[in-house]
Amino acid sequence: MAKNTRGIEVAEIISDKCIACQICIGECPVGAIELSPEGVALIDPEVCVGCGKCFDSCPVSAVKYQKKKRAKIPGEERKVPDAGLPGYQGVGVYIETVDGRGAPVSWELAGKARELAGQLGAKVLGFLLGNNVGQAADEAIEYGCDEVHVIDDPLLSHYLPATYGKALSDLCDKLRPAILLIGATPLGRDLAGVVATRLETGLTADCTGLYIEKETGLLLMTRPTFGGNIMATIFCQRHRPQMSSVRPKVFRMPDKEAGRKGVVNRHELEAPAVELPAIVSFIPSGDLAGMDIVRYPALVVAGRGACDASSLPLLEELAQLVGGVIACSRPVVQSGLMPYERQVGQTGKTVAPKLYIGVGVSGAVQHLVAIQGAEKIVAINSDPNAPIFRVADAGIVGNYQEIVPELIAQLKKKKSNGKSGL
Amino acid sequence: MDQTFDAAIVGAGPAGISAACVLADRGVKVVVLERGEYPGSKNMFGGVLYGHHLRQIIPDFVERNCPIERNIVESRLWYLSEEGGLSFGYRDTAFFEEHRNNAFTVGRAKFDRWFADQARAKGAVIVCATVVTDLLTDAAGRVTGVKTDRADGDLRAKVVLLADGVNSPLAAKAGFRPEVRPEDVALAVKEQIALPEEVIDERFGVSPGNGVTCEILGNVTWGMNGVAFLYTNKSSVSIGIGANLADFAIQKARPYEMLESLKTHPMIAPLIKDGKPKEYLAHWLPEGGYDTVPRLCGDGFLIAGDSAMMFNALHREGSNLAMTSGRLAAETILEATERNDFSSSGLQGYVKRMQDAYVLKDLRKYRKFPSFLETHKELFTSLPRATCAAAREILTVDEVPKKARQREAWKAIRGQVPPLRLLRLAWDAWRSVR
Amino acid sequence: MHFVVCIKQVPDTAEVKIDPETNTLVRSGVESIANPYDLAALEEAVRLKERYGGHVTAVSMGPPQAESALRQALSLGADEVVLLSDRAFAGADTLATSYTLSRAVITLGEEDPVGLVLCGKQAIDGDTAQTGPGIATRLSFTQFTYVVEVEWIDPEKNRVQVRRKVEGGFEVINGPLPALLSVELELAVPRRASLPMLIDSLRAPIKVWDAKAIGASLELVGLKGSPTWVKAIASPQIHRAGPKWDAAQGVSEAVSGALDALFADEDFEAKFRKGWET
Repeated sequence: MAKNTRGIEVAEIISDKCIACQICIGECPVGAIELSPEGVALIDPEVCVGCGKCFDSCPVSAVKYQKKKRAKIPGEERKVPDAGLPGYQGVGVYIETVDGRGAPVSWELAGKARELAGQLGAKVLGFLLGNNVGQAADEAIEYGCDEVHVIDDPLLSHYLPATYGKALSDLCDKLRPAILLIGATPLGRDLAGVVATRLETGLTADCTGLYIEKETGLLLMTRPTFGGNIMATIFCQRHRPQMSSVRPKVFRMPDKEAGRKGVVNRHELEAPAVELPAIVSFIPSGDLAGMDIVRYPALVVAGRGACDASSLPLLEELAQLVGGVIACSRPVVQSGLMPYERQVGQTGKTVAPKLYIGVGVSGAVQHLVAIQGAEKIVAINSDPNAPIFRVADAGIVGNYQEIVPELIAQLKKKKSNGKSGL
Repeated sequence: MDQTFDAAIVGAGPAGISAACVLADRGVKVVVLERGEYPGSKNMFGGVLYGHHLRQIIPDFVERNCPIERNIVESRLWYLSEEGGLSFGYRDTAFFEEHRNNAFTVGRAKFDRWFADQARAKGAVIVCATVVTDLLTDAAGRVTGVKTDRADGDLRAKVVLLADGVNSPLAAKAGFRPEVRPEDVALAVKEQIALPEEVIDERFGVSPGNGVTCEILGNVTWGMNGVAFLYTNKSSVSIGIGANLADFAIQKARPYEMLESLKTHPMIAPLIKDGKPKEYLAHWLPEGGYDTVPRLCGDGFLIAGDSAMMFNALHREGSNLAMTSGRLAAETILEATERNDFSSSGLQGYVKRMQDAYVLKDLRKYRKFPSFLETHKELFTSLPRATCAAAREILTVDEVPKKARQREAWKAIRGQVPPLRLLRLAWDAWRSVR
Repeated sequence: MHFVVCIKQVPDTAEVKIDPETNTLVRSGVESIANPYDLAALEEAVRLKERYGGHVTAVSMGPPQAESALRQALSLGADEVVLLSDRAFAGADTLATSYTLSRAVITLGEEDPVGLVLCGKQAIDGDTAQTGPGIATRLSFTQFTYVVEVEWIDPEKNRVQVRRKVEGGFEVINGPLPALLSVELELAVPRRASLPMLIDSLRAPIKVWDAKAIGASLELVGLKGSPTWVKAIASPQIHRAGPKWDAAQGVSEAVSGALDALFADEDFEAKFRKGWET
């Protein structure tokens, strides 16, 4: 262990491991750490007092420090709060509605909430906002909510951050859930940011995994960062509710339990005291653009290498044959060959079809993360080392222009062949 | 803000930045225009820099945290056949201490950025992601500035220094030098292979911070006029190979395949075993020598570095020639500033400085070397085989008496290269480096 | 009108990876760039200034290196820039970040009231898209997210009308100023800086504000003000690694082999035949 000129054994950053989260910079009581020009933390040995707080707080063990006699900094004892945080109970789920019916992502989250609530011994609370949304309230119970809290008001017929934001925050203030899950649809992401700020709590966006930590009862939230290249596990220790947004199709749709019992509570809307914006019009987008690839049970996904005027009819035929539609990877959208609505990927859509066929898709991490939920994955690529083969249930190496017609022919035969079994 | 500059430098490589440092130090308003996103992003070289020349521009470069990879304490020269090779090397404790950093390895991206930061700290303005598309000239044909690819992109200066690399589209366009002929350049490729620092220390027998360079000749360039190298960096080795561009065209060989083949050679494979390839680059090297050096200056301009074909192939020197020529160009500009004469005669001092310095002296000495290599292709084909076969004979120990062994060795050589040809080779070699 | 643009300097995320063997971040050659969504916001702000008059201030919260993003903003038309830099700001999650940025907007508004704040929809490293709504909520500014076009600003009536991208199409909506727009990339393609503006930006002094300068409470910034903390990081694990066939050995054999593997699960094959109806 290195010593500085005053003989103190100082801490050192292992720069290869440092993820520049800057937690140590904040923890250091004497300001000995800063971010170097290379973008990693750097400890000034002459300022360091060897207290080891950086070592304790680093989430990735990037600090070299010998824990001998720790210098005590007066008055700096960190209080570890009660993780149970009394007064907060229940797993809340925001129920988004589309034309009066619950959005599928809300039911997926209700299913997950059931699971988490089971581990905590708590209830699942549905939060429902809108105008004439009674039917969705009943459905919410069938999908797993024990209580549904509804604010039904004409002011809520169209989404506005000011009205919905206040309404949902007010419900949370009243009912104090320990956890609040929101579907990461465009509306949901907008709403979540507003509510988290109003409630001054932590929000973790686009989670792909949610777990309860046994020892503490805390919600652990896993999400991709750095464009999907890194998975981070986040927690929210002292603030409530622990908020998480989750993209559609990350969790599976639960079974609907007809006749399930639950309570529906109606609340009044306290309108915000600000002038609200006025919606002038809604312009639906064209055919190709308006397509929601997430709704289809099969997808033929074209990569950059398989996307031109001659290949599209072929892929279209394959898509029709397997009961699905064409989608694409990010490079295809970036070069303007297909609209963004068709993009499968971390910054596009997360999909979980029954059958995914990738044609000329190499399999960048950001893409693979978004197709993990697919039931079966078939990959066709001319590069035998393409990462997509790592996640494929079956892979074919070669030229797609030869393979796809053969695939179509054999699938046709299989379909027409009435015998079950192989 | 004031947009007038005294000197405009095209290219933020070693030549351009050296000039910028010297000029900015003396208060000259200098701007450097670089086409890459950052200095060094479009540059590549083997890896070796020479401390003496850097010291002339930044005397305290070590204290200023120059990103040195390893201090070179041993230089090796290998002559390889397909199955084996002769090695020759020199290590000296002087390179550990009193001549420390006589030669050291650096990474181009890191070094160029550090070097540019030094110039910036002295007051030079370094503009990146901007391409100089043409020179501005007046009616009399003298250079008055540069034209760039940005809006309002004309920049006027009293003098322009072209330091935009071996291809130097500007020098060709402005007619200062002809288009580069394939015979005058080499195409080289390089790969950086990651290895743990301790493994490199072990395999090359050096202590941490010190390193080794290997220059490699022989059959490795598949009969073409070329050279290969292996240099040690802090936690990687650089392995590269290149050959004359004209030869590549004739042979239709692929540089990447040549590199892959080099990596499997029995002298090299054990040194890079289990290493992970990190980066692959390709670049041109000016190999024409003295006879291809263009007009070095004219009315309102000077040329330095690779643009001026400043490259000593035999001694693997290019960066130092670039830095020195940049420095000498800067000194010439300072001189011209005092007399306010940036015409061709006012800048003539540059040529004299270059002639007096090792720069042109060395190039002149080795003037015949490029053509020597061209006419003696056996250096890359039969001679390596011959010498290795002879060595194998001599080093095989069994019943055969030594006299017979030596005869066999000589026969092995003679079989590959006729004695007369050998004599001719030796004679021409001596004359070409005289 | 006073336009404020929030810019974040981010690593070029295409290059950030974890070494799977050591579980450490691979940093070599990772460039820092200005978040592309924020550059779109800046371009729009500059165009609005050119159309309606006023001036543009760009602000960024980050370490000293973030000044290069601000210099880029200057070269692209920002009139003034401010770097929010303070040790106390380190380790901030989105709640603490939106607090710090909103304090900066309030401070900027003291001299000259802010009419419009523009920021990118999300940063390409965090991808949370939370900071924009956070700032709007704290400042009680009218909030418009996913903006793809600014149709008009009416300085008399103090209103702005925008087009937003929503599920299924576009919404045209107007509301009172001051407002915050969180923008999509397609809103505006950033211009290429002219040479004189680029040169000026390289030499401009950068104003730096710390927590005190923006009147920020130390309890609400940086790590102290962040409810969420990172527990661990890892490489995404996605593996199935099914069998692979080489079409070079025969296309029809490869395809039938792959289909056999695919339909080895009889339930799956049954579902396929029924057209996925369950």
